[in-house]
Amino acid sequence: MAGTHHFLTDVRYGTSPIHALDPRTKLLSVLALAAFAVSTPPTAVWAFAVYLAAVFFVLGLARLPLGYVLRRALIILPFILAVAVFLPFFDRAGSGSYEVGGVELSHHGLLILWNVAVKALISVVAAIILISTTSFPELIRGLEGLHVPRVFTLVASFMYRYGFLFLEEAGRMRRAMASRNYSGRWLWDARLMGHLIAALFLRSYARAERVYVAMVSRGFEGTMPGAVPLDFRTADYAFLGALLGLLGVVRVAVAMSA
Amino acid sequence: MHLPDGFLDGTTALATAGGSATVLTYAVHRTNRELGDRLVPLLGVTAGFVFAAQMVNFPVAGGTSGHLLGALLAAVLMGPWAAVVVMTAVLGLQAIAMADGGITAFGANVLNMGVVGGVVAYAVFAGTRRLLPDSRGGFLSAVALAAWLSVVLSAGAAALELAWSGTVPLGVGLRAMTSVHMIIGIGEAMITTTVVGAVLATRPDLIATLPAGLAAALEPGALEGDPEGLRAGGRGRARLGGFVAAALAVSLAVAVLLAPLASQEPDGLERVAEDEGFASAEKESVLNFTPFSDYEFPGIEGDLGVILVGVAGTLAVFAGALGLGRLLSRGHGQTATDEGATPGGGAEPGAGRGAGPAVGRVPGHGPGHGVLGHRHSGHEHASTQRDAG
Repeated sequence: MAGTHHFLTDVRYGTSPIHALDPRTKLLSVLALAAFAVSTPPTAVWAFAVYLAAVFFVLGLARLPLGYVLRRALIILPFILAVAVFLPFFDRAGSGSYEVGGVELSHHGLLILWNVAVKALISVVAAIILISTTSFPELIRGLEGLHVPRVFTLVASFMYRYGFLFLEEAGRMRRAMASRNYSGRWLWDARLMGHLIAALFLRSYARAERVYVAMVSRGFEGTMPGAVPLDFRTADYAFLGALLGLLGVVRVAVAMSA
Repeated sequence: MHLPDGFLDGTTALATAGGSATVLTYAVHRTNRELGDRLVPLLGVTAGFVFAAQMVNFPVAGGTSGHLLGALLAAVLMGPWAAVVVMTAVLGLQAIAMADGGITAFGANVLNMGVVGGVVAYAVFAGTRRLLPDSRGGFLSAVALAAWLSVVLSAGAAALELAWSGTVPLGVGLRAMTSVHMIIGIGEAMITTTVVGAVLATRPDLIATLPAGLAAALEPGALEGDPEGLRAGGRGRARLGGFVAAALAVSLAVAVLLAPLASQEPDGLERVAEDEGFASAEKESVLNFTPFSDYEFPGIEGDLGVILVGVAGTLAVFAGALGLGRLLSRGHGQTATDEGATPGGGAEPGAGRGAGPAVGRVPGHGPGHGVLGHRHSGHEHASTQRDAG
């Protein structure tokens, strides 16, 4: 399990106009895009085309490799497949259906599939752009700048710092189990994983106590020193203004045509 | 179970976010009072543990695997309010940094996995625990029941939200989600019980929710520094009746509300067969996207029989857990006390050599004297205040 944190550090910290934006701008943009997309009715197909075009335009600006982004976007696939499984059962809305190769698909069901798939795609690609162009400390600073309660930002930054360490510790214990012939296949083998997690808890708690005592002895009083300063520049106003303007115009047009 | 964006409509997203925000505000308030700002690093590193533990897969059947939810584990180890804060941070990290779980669905995910899986399941745990004998077996039985329930209830809550949003019909979704998670929940219960059991055997002082009687039985020497005798008293027994009533009421309410919903929709395949005749006939009002236009929100006027079955099922589960606890505590009550005396007794088998004695005790921090003991008594103090008020 070594190198598990490739999830977060696989990112090529390149330089692009998007990388240079203030983290608050990027956080607000993702939030706005997700909120606008979710609130748009699925029948307004052209609106989703505009949203997608905007997302992929920003993706191009950020110079992120398309394959990498799409591979990470696969995380939403299980949910879309789960909904797709229910498709034939949606015909009670009396909305008509299509026959495709002997399988009956209801129109209402297909509409719901399109609805969840396109909205999930837009928002997950936006989130991937955010995390691929922003370092974790920047993200935390951005959240602080947006007045997220400090207990969450502090807990999150500690979790980020130690979570992967514990993950690799768990990986080490798993290798130890495997080398001693553990090959759990069935639910009744799961107990041993419980022992592993118990050992992980005791170790991480011991570490937590050491970290805490070390911090207090160095004068920790509840705030983290040495934060990166935030800088909301002209480019941020321009980006956020353009995005919100576009989203607003599209949404109003959808509402008028409905 | 991390819902992505787009699966919930705006109203559901806003409503669940509002609910989560309310609970979180209270949880932050409680955590600040009980832990203080300065103990946040402890919380953060523990959140790192939950984050890592969630990624440890356990086998389910023939090569497929599930993973821990960990909300109830966190609630038992840290208390329900700290657990909500930790779960929110974990879910937030997953949503923002790994795109696992949507931004607009964040409130719903916190509600399902943090509030329902943590606080609600913890309430069941607290109620059941007081029904059972104050012993290792009783404690662990309550943990097992609540851990199983935490997964099933989380899945049920997600199915409800999907139905309110018109994404998946309630009957189909609820049945699919809960039946799968009833199996996964067994793994959650096994692992949570094993973890709590091992911590109980090695460092019971780390369990914030350890009942007074059990603490006294496990570690007579560790209570010396307890000036007010908070942990030695029998306050668990005194309020037994109230908690039994509360836990039963919660469970019965769940059964009464959910049982008719589950039976509302006939079997999906039957339905398709029924509809096949007319399905392709009408095509008007095709673009009218109103999820519940045709089947009104089902529920309240559901037939009495189903509710009674749900009630009977709940009572049976309660009676079963109760019997199991008594049975276990009769067999294990004595040996458990012995186990408590040998640190590291339960933790090693799966962990290999690395989990040696250093795991059992933090150097320089005996039980009850370290940061943890401090935190623990703080929690006990707070709960006494709550009990008094």
